[in-house]
Amino acid sequence: MQGPAAETKPPAWWQVLLIGRRPRRTLVRVILLAVVCFVVFKFLLLPIRIEGISMEPTYHDRQVNFVNRMAFWWHPPRRGDVVSVRLAGEHAMYMKRIIGLPGETVSFHEGHAYINGQELDEPYVKYNCDWEHDPIPCGPDQYYVVGDNRSMPFTYHEQGRAERRRIVGKPLL
Amino acid sequence: MRIAVRLIFLAAVLAAAFWFWQVLFPSPEKIIRKQMTALATAATFSSSDSIIARGLKARRIGDFFTPDAQIALSGPDSGDRTVSGREDIADKTAMAFSSLQALRVEFVDVSVTVASDRQSATVTCTGQVHANDQKDLGVQELQLQFQKVDGHWLIARIESVKTLT
Repeated sequence: MQGPAAETKPPAWWQVLLIGRRPRRTLVRVILLAVVCFVVFKFLLLPIRIEGISMEPTYHDRQVNFVNRMAFWWHPPRRGDVVSVRLAGEHAMYMKRIIGLPGETVSFHEGHAYINGQELDEPYVKYNCDWEHDPIPCGPDQYYVVGDNRSMPFTYHEQGRAERRRIVGKPLL
Repeated sequence: MRIAVRLIFLAAVLAAAFWFWQVLFPSPEKIIRKQMTALATAATFSSSDSIIARGLKARRIGDFFTPDAQIALSGPDSGDRTVSGREDIADKTAMAFSSLQALRVEFVDVSVTVASDRQSATVTCTGQVHANDQKDLGVQELQLQFQKVDGHWLIARIESVKTLT
């Protein structure tokens, strides 16, 4: 005659490794993890891959990063912030740096950026350029964004005024 | 229990009928989204495609447009360009195809707004282009006007949208 303890066989080692000693609890954990991952990576931190050289040397081509959508929940974007600007949606975004705030004018002279006529200190710009452009006024809801890599001619560099609604967030890394 | 089974069966039948109805009579939005996918496929070719195959693809692209369609694009490096008329669009497309080794076109973030008369629609999307098997990606925000002509949804106008003004 065998006791009740002898009747219940312990799970195999591979079973314990794969689904744990309590499969139900493991299932709940897996579902919870999937839900958390979905919410985090869909609504809070958008995974992105940087394409192009417009933010060199701060960000490099093919780098992987996350866009922190919570960055501007508590305060508006600030000068110097690197931001992601969406196009029609969030599958393709520009990554640029804010240099001009709403209500300011942005101009370029001998490769230097000027805000309301005052030269802007930009230690992140490592490549010299000879950009020249007349003052561009930013509207009450517009931020002037530009890449850190200004080694190409002014007209070839995608830059300009972005409306606040287009600014999705800040890169996390 | 029997009632529950019957209710589940009824729900399944209704779902299948709804799905079948959608397949038979798709909404304008669904048709337009399909058109966008078909346009991207038609504009995509690889380096192994022959000149004839590319020419045929370019002709097929013309079929997506109304006879008086217009494409107005502007870019920082290319300036403003306008192409008018289905034939001209097909010709310019053929010329562009012959000058490229390969092209991959995708439309992402497609948003369709159908007018209340259901005879026209506005589409906003982002066009992504990989040319000549290069890894560099070209992106452009676009707005398309669709018109229903003889029961077919055709593109009446494509224009680029300036994301950064």
